[in-house]
Amino acid sequence: MTTRRFRLIPYVFLLPAVALIGVFVVYPILAVVYYSLTDYDIVRPPVWVGLDNFARVFADKTFWLALTHSIVYLLVTPILIVLSIGLAIVVNRKLRGIQIYRALYFVPAVSGSIAIGLSWRWLFDRNGFINGVLQSWGVIHDPIQWLSTPALVLPIAMLLTIWAGVGFYSVIFLAGLQNIPEELYDAARIDGCTDLQKHWHVSLPGLRPQIAFVAVISSLAALKVFDEIYILTGKTGGILDSGVTMVFYLWKQAFVLQHAGYAAAIAIILLAITLVFSIVNVRLLDRGDGDQ
Amino acid sequence: MATTREARGRRRARRLVANAGWYTILTFLAAITVFPFLWMMLTSIKGAADPLTSVPPQFIPAHPTLDNYERVLTLLPVPTYFQNSIVVAILSTGLNVLVSAMAAYPLAKMRFRGREAIFYLLLATLIVPAQLTYIPSFILAVNTFHYYDTLAAVILPSIASAFNIFLMRQAYRGIPNDLIDAARVDGAGEWRVWWQILLPVVRPSLAAVAIFTFVTSWNDFLWPSLMLHNPQGLTLPVGLVALQGQFVSDFRATAAGVTMTVIPILLFFVVVQRWFVRGLTGAVKG
Repeated sequence: MTTRRFRLIPYVFLLPAVALIGVFVVYPILAVVYYSLTDYDIVRPPVWVGLDNFARVFADKTFWLALTHSIVYLLVTPILIVLSIGLAIVVNRKLRGIQIYRALYFVPAVSGSIAIGLSWRWLFDRNGFINGVLQSWGVIHDPIQWLSTPALVLPIAMLLTIWAGVGFYSVIFLAGLQNIPEELYDAARIDGCTDLQKHWHVSLPGLRPQIAFVAVISSLAALKVFDEIYILTGKTGGILDSGVTMVFYLWKQAFVLQHAGYAAAIAIILLAITLVFSIVNVRLLDRGDGDQ
Repeated sequence: MATTREARGRRRARRLVANAGWYTILTFLAAITVFPFLWMMLTSIKGAADPLTSVPPQFIPAHPTLDNYERVLTLLPVPTYFQNSIVVAILSTGLNVLVSAMAAYPLAKMRFRGREAIFYLLLATLIVPAQLTYIPSFILAVNTFHYYDTLAAVILPSIASAFNIFLMRQAYRGIPNDLIDAARVDGAGEWRVWWQILLPVVRPSLAAVAIFTFVTSWNDFLWPSLMLHNPQGLTLPVGLVALQGQFVSDFRATAAGVTMTVIPILLFFVVVQRWFVRGLTGAVKG
């Protein structure tokens, strides 16, 4: 295809991207590894402490709570997949005005987590809409302190993530559905499948690549959740740290308490979890490809 | 004759009923999706005499007003935030598309030493949550680049994205080699091949990458909130949080602020929606 002699041109094309990623991704990772082994407050120079930070992190109850919350948060992934496929099936029909509906479902995906978070915070406020409706229906007598109830903070944040994500992910599944040959559905109908069976036997296997993709993307996003927690809990992480996730705790340690070395250790652990997770995901993806 | 017409009529009736059912479901889902925004907008135009809390909740304000918007605008420079967000989003997007489109060309269409290594290194950076890099990036911003509290601090780290490089690489790989070789035989250099032959062909992918990057940049919060502090230099999401801090108990004002920030990006989305959806679906197929 091309000559064997050394050519500079490919490297020139790559230079800006590689330089930027080197400075803003690769260097920071190496630096975080170093900081995690030091006592560092960002102001004074780091002091080497070996594995001290890790020992302290593993003895830190809030860290374990944050880790548990982040793992619980991963539950949004299967729920998102099921609901998004459902929505994709619903909008995958030729009806007048269907484009408008599809666009409406996409609104939360472009509105931004801060605006969304604030609007939800207002809905779930003590004086908010939800309490107003529940009281007028007589379901509850006194208003519920939704976001000040430790057991409710994380579920509300997860509900928010799901609500905001369904429209986005369903677009991916819709494209997948439209790629499935019509004949497969006809064959299923001839075999006497009901509508539901048709989707179970034809749509689901046909959507496998999309399911794998959404599983990867949405679970990585769930591990990184921050904005929703920040807004819903008013920057505090919730009463008794009830909404604190890994990234929220990382942020708090690094930029509120200025324990940069300690936060770096949390970052390394988060990186390790993300790596394990990605390897599992890639395995699943590979298996999906192999079957085709 | 009469029976077939009857049958056709019955089928049409059944379809109408089924369609009505689907429209009910679609409308219900749309209502759930849009309601939080709608409620925000309704709250933002409520007058002082309209109750914020009531049982049952008041939907249509009896005394609609724009006072809340005025109050927000006199206390916070929302137009400036808007301008900052535009600058950040346009520069981030433009440079990101350029850098990604450049980097992806050799990865897709040239053979050279180190290609695999560079490719897999880029692939690996995809998994790293950006928040992990914020501690060193913060120190870089303060000590090395001295751009703390400027828009450059938000723009520069967002220029290169491994994800966009991959999308562009996929797009180039769909182009037949013959097209490129023919141009090379005609004496076109790599820059001309890239600029005049490849880029026009991958325009849909460029558009998708651009829109995706624009929306992400427009909504980005955590890193900008670490970098931007002077009250004139905030982007909209950071400004929105500042606003909420100033109007803690004034929900009408917060609602007005949220409405002001959501409307522009929604309008933008309405305009580019077609390309966005096409790009998103193309990205997964590759």
